[in-house]
Amino acid sequence: MNRNDLPPPIERRKLTKVDFTLFAGVIFLVVYAVYQVNDVLVYKWNWGRVTNFVIRFDKDSGTYVANLLLHGLATTLRLAVWGTVLATIIGLVMGYWRTCENLTLRIISRCYVELIRNIPPVVFIFIFFFFISSQIFPALGFDNIDPDSSFVDNTIFRIMFGDPVLLSNFLAGMVCLAMFEGAYITEIVRAGIQSIPKSQWEASRAIGLSPFNVLRDIILPQALQKILPPLAGQFITLIKDSAIVSLISIQELTFLATEVAASTTKVFETWILVGAMYFVLCYGFALLFAWLERRAAKNRR
Amino acid sequence: MKFLNSIKGLLVAAVVGATTLAVSSIPASAQGVIEEIQKRGKLRVGMATFVPWAMRDKEGNLIGFEIDVAKKVAADMGVEVEFVPTAWSGIIPALIAKKFDVIIGGMSITPSRNLTVNFTAPYAHSGQQMASNIKLAGGFSSMDDYNDSSVTISCRRGATPCNFAQARFPKATLRRFDDDAQAFQEVVNGNAHATISSAPKPRFWSDGYPDKVFVANNGENLSRGNEAFALRKGDADAVNYFSNWILYNTANGWLEETNDYWFKDQSAWKDLVAEQ
Repeated sequence: MNRNDLPPPIERRKLTKVDFTLFAGVIFLVVYAVYQVNDVLVYKWNWGRVTNFVIRFDKDSGTYVANLLLHGLATTLRLAVWGTVLATIIGLVMGYWRTCENLTLRIISRCYVELIRNIPPVVFIFIFFFFISSQIFPALGFDNIDPDSSFVDNTIFRIMFGDPVLLSNFLAGMVCLAMFEGAYITEIVRAGIQSIPKSQWEASRAIGLSPFNVLRDIILPQALQKILPPLAGQFITLIKDSAIVSLISIQELTFLATEVAASTTKVFETWILVGAMYFVLCYGFALLFAWLERRAAKNRR
Repeated sequence: MKFLNSIKGLLVAAVVGATTLAVSSIPASAQGVIEEIQKRGKLRVGMATFVPWAMRDKEGNLIGFEIDVAKKVAADMGVEVEFVPTAWSGIIPALIAKKFDVIIGGMSITPSRNLTVNFTAPYAHSGQQMASNIKLAGGFSSMDDYNDSSVTISCRRGATPCNFAQARFPKATLRRFDDDAQAFQEVVNGNAHATISSAPKPRFWSDGYPDKVFVANNGENLSRGNEAFALRKGDADAVNYFSNWILYNTANGWLEETNDYWFKDQSAWKDLVAEQ
């Protein structure tokens, strides 16, 4: 059953009196809450000190330049993009293993998924971070990368991975997030593969394709169509989940916001502003993906 | 049984893998931290934001008392300095995981922390400070005058200062507030004789109301903490080097001078942090 076959839903476009009453009620509650906050907290609002940490005016060059919070937002976005790429690789492998005939592969992938899905993300990230940062990264030599070498100190690398000095810090956060999100993508991939009828496997095997070719040419192209929309949703989830790596001091938006809040003592302004930044980023992507999906659906028809 | 065998195989593989990792990490720790820093040409310092120890200026750069200290340590060693801003709750595990060489983060020496990390000699002494209302408490001759049932002391709920006030002035009435600023406002308004908070906040608040509020105990702290650098266990050379750096710079007055700049009077640096 293709959902494009469904009749278009009838949407109400006109607001009725009931709607207006509801809106008025909501607005009243918000105003009341704001009034209460101002009344009880005796709090001096000062947005200027915090917005200065998004963009500041540089007197030396006479231009506006990005400050801490915008740098943090860029790091968050990089974490989400590379985290999703790595998690998708993990998810494709593990998701395929979940559907394999080989028992060992099934046990490994099942253990991975169940382990991660059944412990809180913060706990997992604490354990895993100290393991990779004290054992794996030194062994791979990530801690000794020279930040001035031409391989890392160039514009393309900076755009893709940020400041080379923070590279090891960034990679640690990215691997933690990817390991974590990978479990969820594994399940998305598994569901995608299993949604392809078994007869297709049998038919492709019957015409003499190798198991690898069946997967590459027959199953995955069909499964990908089903995987992509939830994968896009998982990407947005990862943007939000990336806030937890602030606990292991990855220099992303939430971590830098705690520093700004501590330095300026403007706690409410900082967190409201940071919340708005996350919202704009996530909702922007949600709209973009919805648009892409509609376009893809049109092309399929 | 086939299932059990494959599990056994996995376990053996995991143990072998873990042992290899553990063995391979031993040679790295044979070299002392000081040599490592010199070889790398860079001192990596773990710290957390806490005004005025370390904070962000308008440009987003780190400034503060211990930022100055760490920069001077690095300069004296002839190496660069790299700050690793770290969440306070995870700063000791991060030190042990070798995310940086040393914590210069206003960490007080406590016996329980000392079981996990090594401390150098103290480079600063923080403590609790009291701001008092001139009209109500200006005539008090000693700190014991505050230990009286007619005295009201305000403090922030759930914070160390409240516990300190209770222990030091058990007879006084405590008024707890959700926020430091509110507790101080009570003193300005004359509803409380005094408020206690960690230095140098009471002094900074008092600066704004010189005709109404003064810092009690002749401006001295009521209690004395010992803040020191923290290092990984098992490296006596590093503890020796940093301790003597601190002794040397205490003797020549540099540490006190720098401490006074950040802690005595915020007018010297307030412009760096915020638009006035």
